Amino acid sequence: MIELRNVTKTYPAPRGRRAILDDITCVLGDEGSVGILGRNGAGKSTLLRILGGSELPDLGTVKRHGRVSWPIGFSGGFNGSLTGEENCRFAARIYDADVDEVIERTREFAEIGDYFFMPVRSYSSGMKVRLAFGLSMAIDFDVYLVDEITAVGDRKFQKKCRDAFREREQRSSMIIVSHQMKTI
Amino acid sequence: MIQALDRQLNVIWALTLRETRTRFGQYQLGYLWAFVEPIVWILSFYLIFALVDRPSPRGMSLFGFLATGMITYELFSKTAEKVSLAINVNRALLFYPQVRPLDLTFARWLLETATHCSVFVVIMASELMVTGQSLRISDPLSLLGGLLLASALGYGVGLIFCMAQVIFPSLEKMRGPMMRPLFWTSGIFFTANSLPLEARKILMYNPVVHAVEFVRQGWFTSYQAKWASLPYLLGWVLSLLFIGTLLEREIRRRIEVT
Repeated sequence: MIELRNVTKTYPAPRGRRAILDDITCVLGDEGSVGILGRNGAGKSTLLRILGGSELPDLGTVKRHGRVSWPIGFSGGFNGSLTGEENCRFAARIYDADVDEVIERTREFAEIGDYFFMPVRSYSSGMKVRLAFGLSMAIDFDVYLVDEITAVGDRKFQKKCRDAFREREQRSSMIIVSHQMKTI
Repeated sequence: MIQALDRQLNVIWALTLRETRTRFGQYQLGYLWAFVEPIVWILSFYLIFALVDRPSPRGMSLFGFLATGMITYELFSKTAEKVSLAINVNRALLFYPQVRPLDLTFARWLLETATHCSVFVVIMASELMVTGQSLRISDPLSLLGGLLLASALGYGVGLIFCMAQVIFPSLEKMRGPMMRPLFWTSGIFFTANSLPLEARKILMYNPVVHAVEFVRQGWFTSYQAKWASLPYLLGWVLSLLFIGTLLEREIRRRIEVT
């Protein structure tokens, strides 16, 4: 569950500052899932970063209860010189999850074979996404922040992701942002 | 509160393990390289001193004199260097919400301090073994304090550069040239007691000299750090940390995560 209280976030624009969030007070993800629609550049990803806590609002407070994920969907946060396994180990440690279990579940889900034990910099972009998605499914979050995961991997992998999401929806809540009505 | 502290320590520890891996992991011999650099420095200056027949200060072996100075200085300067790059190198990690800019600098501080303290122990112990002397630390508190304050000075300088670089990226290029004079003026090649009055007056403004003096007083039985001042050194450390953490508050909203 994420509580926003009087949250304001602005960005510098050619003329003055542009407000992305203007004095928002609400509660998200306490039950079920939330979809947030917006055009490109409306501030959806920024909103997710603020919800997740990797970016701070200009004003107001954001309170998170339970384990909230990082914005899932692109493969940020990996260090290229470490292997997939080492990157998973790091993530498991900072989320205080069982390290061996996370590594095992990620390896199984990502299906990238022995590349799992190679430095991430040698991965193709598809493999990176597989690893990122596998890792986010391997740690049990109470709230998932999802950023546009429309085209990830091949069709078989996409189905796997959808199934994993469905299954997660039973226990956790999702906050999904997209610019496509269909995704939501 | 305690839970939050525990979580943060958890993050710092994970970062430290990861830094260890990225700093030493990609080379063969890994951690050994941490020892190679100071040893090469010490031995080259040992050779130069021996060639020009310059004696070491009274009561110190030439090797011990150079080693105490060099390792203390390296502890300061390497900590400053590594900490100053903490955000630039690990920006991708800020992607994880619980990783904060200060955690990145803490992890590097921890790793550098642990590394150089081990270097100190190993190099000084090997001198004792080669010369067949027994270990006698004359003032353990002064030795430990000197090393820790050198590391804290390095952290303060590194922290300020690290945060200021977020606003002025070109500072990264200036750090090297700005630090270079310190190599010659930090007491690696002289002791405060052996300096002429005029030179001492000026050189004692450099806080690193004070740290080196404390380390030497701690290690050598016959050396008294008459001119080193703990309040002066602490004053530097606290001011640097104050400015550094102030800058952190200013930049934490400005960092752009990929």
